[in-house]
Amino acid sequence: MNGDDPRTAAPVPVGEYGLPDDTRTAAPVPIGDYGLLGDTRTALLVSGDGAVDWFCVPAFDGEPVFGRLLGGPPAGTFRVGPVLPARRLGRRYLRHCATLETVWEAGQGRLVLTEAMVAEVSGQLLPATVLIRRLSAEDAPVPAVIEFDPRLGEHHRRPRIRRGPGLVCEWGRLALSLGSDPELNLEPGRPAVITVVPGRPVTLVLSVADAEPLVHVNPASAWDLVDADEARWRAWVGGIDERLPFREPMVRSLLTLRLLTYSPSGAPVAAPTTSLPEDPGGIRNWDYRYAWPRDASIGVGAFLAVGKTAEARGFLAWLLHASRLERPRLPALLSLTGRHAPGERELHGWPGYASSTPVRVGNAAAGQHQLDGYGWVLDAAWVLVEAGHRLYSETWRAMRGFADLVARRWQEPDAGIWEIRDDAAHHVHSKLMGWLALDRALRIGESHRLGDRQRQRWQVAREAIAAEVRARGFDPAKGSYTRSYGSADLDAALLILPLLGLEDEDSPRMRGTVDAIRRELSAGGPLLYRYPPGCDGLPGTEGAFLPCSFWPVQALARTGRRPEAVKLFEALLERATPLGLYGEEMDPVTHAHLGNFPQALTHAALVQAALALRDTAGRRQ
Amino acid sequence: MDWPGWALFGLLATSVLTVVMIAAQMAGLTRLDLPLVLGTLVTADPDKARVAGFFLHLAAGQGFALGYAATFALLGWSAWWLGALLGLLHVAVALTIILPLLPGIHPRMASHRAGPANRAGLEPPGLLALNYGIQTPTVAAGAHLVYGTVLGLLLQAG
Repeated sequence: MNGDDPRTAAPVPVGEYGLPDDTRTAAPVPIGDYGLLGDTRTALLVSGDGAVDWFCVPAFDGEPVFGRLLGGPPAGTFRVGPVLPARRLGRRYLRHCATLETVWEAGQGRLVLTEAMVAEVSGQLLPATVLIRRLSAEDAPVPAVIEFDPRLGEHHRRPRIRRGPGLVCEWGRLALSLGSDPELNLEPGRPAVITVVPGRPVTLVLSVADAEPLVHVNPASAWDLVDADEARWRAWVGGIDERLPFREPMVRSLLTLRLLTYSPSGAPVAAPTTSLPEDPGGIRNWDYRYAWPRDASIGVGAFLAVGKTAEARGFLAWLLHASRLERPRLPALLSLTGRHAPGERELHGWPGYASSTPVRVGNAAAGQHQLDGYGWVLDAAWVLVEAGHRLYSETWRAMRGFADLVARRWQEPDAGIWEIRDDAAHHVHSKLMGWLALDRALRIGESHRLGDRQRQRWQVAREAIAAEVRARGFDPAKGSYTRSYGSADLDAALLILPLLGLEDEDSPRMRGTVDAIRRELSAGGPLLYRYPPGCDGLPGTEGAFLPCSFWPVQALARTGRRPEAVKLFEALLERATPLGLYGEEMDPVTHAHLGNFPQALTHAALVQAALALRDTAGRRQ
Repeated sequence: MDWPGWALFGLLATSVLTVVMIAAQMAGLTRLDLPLVLGTLVTADPDKARVAGFFLHLAAGQGFALGYAATFALLGWSAWWLGALLGLLHVAVALTIILPLLPGIHPRMASHRAGPANRAGLEPPGLLALNYGIQTPTVAAGAHLVYGTVLGLLLQAG
């Protein structure tokens, strides 16, 4: 190394630089300020000031090595950014890929952080998980802080440290290595200040090894890996239908959905986080790092419609494989490898995001009976058949099993799509999805082998569901279908009604339901609550539910009101974070994103809404 | 060595092992489907793969039975419990070596390093094939104990 190279100067501890040890404020970073980096095996959240505050390894549902988002400073962080205060000039994903760039104004110069995880490591001697962060300066030398403080898991375990080709942190089977170019003498838990000189970027490479040897990546050439990954992502985006309306937000949503798909099994992850609150300061904090068959089913339609057949078939294959142990019962959710999701427990001593406790891991909804799941899955299979694909006989056998179960059990109460941990009820949405399951099974049966007795059984059950829902699930006074039998409450999930084919598109019941939901569940502007706030047996309240806010776009477009749908969709696009991401919910007043982030179901709803606008373009309104 | 016994009882023991595995799968104890895993080496269609995989599995079982027959011949005696012990060794090798190595050669099996370009349909089995269900090691051990016991009972040492 060249001793005159200012980059090689030993980093200065922030204390000697005249800064406090923790240079960040105590106020929580807004959820919507975080960006997502991922490699389709795990993902991390990085804040606008360059801090990786959430990173689970080796997979989405692993233990956090950086958990400050929920555990506060003792849970660890990895910050690379300007010496505060600095003004952020901009932040964006590089076009059509998963690389994030943040630019700050600092003194006379500008500091640029460009970072990405390497998604494609197969066939190369590379770590299964690798994060590459590059700092560069423009116009003038800029001081920058590097704070590397990994802590593992629930008890914030400090690593055993040794020096190898870089800094190595070990906790038994798990090891991290941090290498840099130029070489920097960094120490875990001791923030340091370096000076970044224009034309001489500083590259940091974080490699992860779980139960296997560490693979050291040469930091000097590490950026080549990011370049290659960017090219692959751009080629992937190039395969998305060019004629899509609102293509850019759709591409970002599709990329986000792909980043949230666990490649080793094909499982769609609902969100990469746990316990980001639906009600800041409240108890509505759940673990979403698992896979819901519903999300996989929606993914089938979304990816197929944009020309991504392999991804669509991959979701269906995952559904078949993962549901195998309990078939014909369809679990509400599964682990990434198709096992039972772990039982729910609370992390004691974790302060939570914005004091929202408890912080939970595992999910107790796994044992619920949710009738709607069968409808989503059979509709996904029908979407494939309708597009000209033939189901393997094993797939069709599984689908017949699901339809048989619906025909047998549709009269039972269930937990419903919102997984309310109260007594089960006769949810109208669930019954409608049961109807959908049987209807789509019968449609598939027209081109696939189906016995007469089975067909008749399904037909009888389908007609019985329709008759019962029309009689007991409709409130004539409101002119709308309701949340459950005998209830006066509405449910935004009923906005799927126009997609089913149960009612004519312009029937008074259909229009009445869409209008009543938009009126009574409005959270202001384009936002909707999923059900009347507070009607779920839990203390506190919650924000507007973003997937439901997108569903009226489809409903309006498919009921002859496309101009309204376009206007609504455009208003919702304005609610995205500057990076084009969405959480699960949104504060109707402050428009802050709430809940686990980013949320796959919201991004899937965005894609579905845009597809509905595409499909109805040119129709007479 | 008991060549006629190997030819006949190898097939019998492998068939019994397959029946135990399929029964466990149908009972919801495991997702490990050996005919499917082996058959997808040659075709992507799961139904055709199971047929091909069944015969591949029979051939593999016959190969392993050769090891049992050779061991009995070498020792000069055989017993059901010795067969069962060899079955335990056999399943340990299968779960800790053969299955975890499979993603490296199987064209339709993903690995834990799979990325967005992955088009392999089968999930990697993971250590002890636990990705196919928490009871998979127990089921596999039971099936191989039966396999070894059958061979220990029926194969002659000489």
